[in-house]
Amino acid sequence: MTAAATAATTCAVRVLRRLAGMAATLLVTSFLVFSSLFLAPGDPASFLIKGRSPSPEDLAALRSQYGFDEPFLVRYWNWLEGVLHGDLGRSYLFHQDVSSVIWSRLPSSLLLIAVSGLMIAVFGIGSGIVGALRRGSRTDRSLMLLVTVGAAAPAFVAALLLRSVFGVQLGWFPTIGNGEGLMDRLHHVILPAAALSVTFTALVTRVTRSAMLDELGRDHVEVALSRGAPRRTVIRRHVLRNALGPIVTVSALLVSGMLVSTAIVETAFGMSGVGSLLVQSVDQLDFQVVQAVVLLVVAAFVVVNALVDLVLPLIDPRTAAAGSAR
Amino acid sequence: MSSARSGSPLNRGRRTHSRIRQAAAAALASAALLVTSACSGAAADKDADRAAAYRITDKTPATTGNVNSFTWSVYAEPTTIDYAYSFDFPPNQILSNVCESLLRWNPDLTTSPGLAASYTNPAPTTWVYQIRPGVRFHDGTALTADDVVASLSRNLDPETASVWANQYKNVKSIDKTGPMEVTVTLTKPDSTFNKYLAAGPGTVESAATLAKSGKDYGNPQTGVNCTGPFSFGSWTSGQSLTLKRFDGYWNQERKAKSGEVKFVFLADATTRVNAFQSGEVDGGWMVPPNAYAQLGSTQAGKLYFGRNTTVADEVVANLKGPLGDPKVRQALLMAIDRKGIVKAGAGGVGEVSDSLVTDNLWADAPPATREALLKDLPKYPYDPAKAKALAAEAGVNGQEVVIATSPLDSQTTIITQAVAQAATAIGLKPRIDSLSAEKYTTLFTDPAAREGIDLFLTFWYTSITDPLDMFASLETGAFSNYGNWSDPAFDAAVEKAVGAYDPAQHAAANAEAQQIASRELPWLPLYTLPVSVFMGKKITGVQPSIAYLYYPWAAEIGAKG
Repeated sequence: MTAAATAATTCAVRVLRRLAGMAATLLVTSFLVFSSLFLAPGDPASFLIKGRSPSPEDLAALRSQYGFDEPFLVRYWNWLEGVLHGDLGRSYLFHQDVSSVIWSRLPSSLLLIAVSGLMIAVFGIGSGIVGALRRGSRTDRSLMLLVTVGAAAPAFVAALLLRSVFGVQLGWFPTIGNGEGLMDRLHHVILPAAALSVTFTALVTRVTRSAMLDELGRDHVEVALSRGAPRRTVIRRHVLRNALGPIVTVSALLVSGMLVSTAIVETAFGMSGVGSLLVQSVDQLDFQVVQAVVLLVVAAFVVVNALVDLVLPLIDPRTAAAGSAR
Repeated sequence: MSSARSGSPLNRGRRTHSRIRQAAAAALASAALLVTSACSGAAADKDADRAAAYRITDKTPATTGNVNSFTWSVYAEPTTIDYAYSFDFPPNQILSNVCESLLRWNPDLTTSPGLAASYTNPAPTTWVYQIRPGVRFHDGTALTADDVVASLSRNLDPETASVWANQYKNVKSIDKTGPMEVTVTLTKPDSTFNKYLAAGPGTVESAATLAKSGKDYGNPQTGVNCTGPFSFGSWTSGQSLTLKRFDGYWNQERKAKSGEVKFVFLADATTRVNAFQSGEVDGGWMVPPNAYAQLGSTQAGKLYFGRNTTVADEVVANLKGPLGDPKVRQALLMAIDRKGIVKAGAGGVGEVSDSLVTDNLWADAPPATREALLKDLPKYPYDPAKAKALAAEAGVNGQEVVIATSPLDSQTTIITQAVAQAATAIGLKPRIDSLSAEKYTTLFTDPAAREGIDLFLTFWYTSITDPLDMFASLETGAFSNYGNWSDPAFDAAVEKAVGAYDPAQHAAANAEAQQIASRELPWLPLYTLPVSVFMGKKITGVQPSIAYLYYPWAAEIGAKG
């Protein structure tokens, strides 16, 4: 075998392993979530009967209609089989297929997350870099103060503030709804995205700043600078590039976790999305929807992690070398 | 149900009630006075300023013409608009404009013919409905007896699991007895069955649509096909639901004045109030009480109060704990500063009530019954010292009581604090258990969710003008009898009222039930409150009343001059 072929085989094996790992993660998660719902107090059948005083026969009929009387493993298996066929089940709360319940809310959540992610990247990484390069300056100190406040500000407080200042008083942005058409949607999503990204931006600023400072303090950087290499080039090639690893990893994880942190912001701005759907479904024991949303979130984590792994070697070839050496 | 609770932060309760208080004395003089007297109490001990602070409006200023459309806020998105699952403010206030019932519940809380042009009651267990001719569904097909039979029968089917099954529990059969005649046969006389046909239980949908939509009936994709002044337009999940004027509406006099209504779902109370003020939304029912002052004086529109059947109650969910002794419940009620709650928690808009139902539910009762009721009703004036003594007598000595609450609105928070304070005052140890709004709704449907909880707040309304709607839900074994309270004399009174068609006998039996409930306090009545509605400066015409849950109120809204 040539060296190239060996490398290709190794690579294919790695990808396959990775995919198997992702599938296993999803499977284990689905099982854990499915079991935890059974441990939650309450009986979904009691939500179905709503205002009635049902006879035991009626209740039994209902339980069998919805499959609540099946043993746990049978229910899990039925569900899993459905998912493998692309059927996420039916929400008894919404009287529609889970896929349509989620699909109708996903686009607005994704837009919110995308815009927040962009804000986090631009402001978080940007101010982290500025802070590190001007360490100890007045700018740096002010940024660090803002970061401390930002990291401590709950999203709902940010939402209230932003809404009352930019929505109600200045009237620059709409305070409710998702909007229609791309521009209108963007206009609607800016305030919620800002509210959502405040805390995360602060975290990313911190991570960026300290990663940059670490790199700035390294011998090779000091040597390069002392030998008169252009500062700008050194910072771009040696500092920023090496610091990007932790920054990308942290940012990606924060963004993939956002799907569940959107609930508060969605409520404050009268938007609907997956976050508020999850909260509602958990509280009302709408098993099928909870399962699907949790799987979606875990899948997002897994996929984002995989993407980070793929991207890191491009940024820093040493990562790839370390990987294949293993 | 999610509903039952009526959910929102604002209201979790559902059906019922009436309050009996001194103000009723004024109403006694003339039934007509009821309208205005409900809140402008006549009794001497009412503070004049409080009575003057708000008044009930029967009809908002007349419209000057039609509008193309208006936007209305709803505090939560309905999970479906299938009438069989619609028992809460969000779905019902939308559906009432789209689907009609056999009878109609009017804003003055009277009942009149609807899709049934007339009806007879030839025997105590037989009700015969003549279906109105010339009525068309939104898809253009004509209404027949088949549609009525199919629609009502769904409530009997356990597979449907209709929220109205309880109202149908005495129904033996529903039959077509002519092309335009339907006969309902009961297993025993039931004086409320016919009344319920003016609410959700009487909803009529096209039989063909029900068959065609199957399990998807009423969801965002399929919607509904009924006979109301508006037809279902579109439903963007999580966002809004749009209705369109139905040009083929049978009642040309009540044709909708607006071409379109867009309901937007805004869960957050502050968000709703902001949207009113900025004009992004043209109106909404159930204004948060802490915004009464703000919205009462805004240029953006006008705030109105209307007739209601709602009482704020603290439900006693656990009778095995210290609250199992009626003396302790009485002591607790006596120690709650209810006037203070109305002032601080309800924006001063409401009246302390010692009954679980409002006065205006007694509209059909003979004056003598009402007078006796007022005179003999146990009263619980605020008296912490006496309450403490009474509780001590019952052996209260530092036992813990858990009060469930939901932090989403100021009113609920204030009431919960006041109840906790009262519990402390009589020697109990209160613990406040704060639940999310969604979780809170499960207290109304799931016994497991109520475990370990002694008290929780509800705003309970009745869907018909009859105190029995409330009292029947406290019968032994009833679904809404959350504390499993049981009193044979009470059950007997309720059963007597169910079987009594004669208004005087019916009222007497109801009065007996009320007497027992007010003495035993399975739930603690706090105060009555009017319906609130805000309309922006573009629109007017609505009749503010709790009937908005079943009456096509949006059709009356048009342009403001």
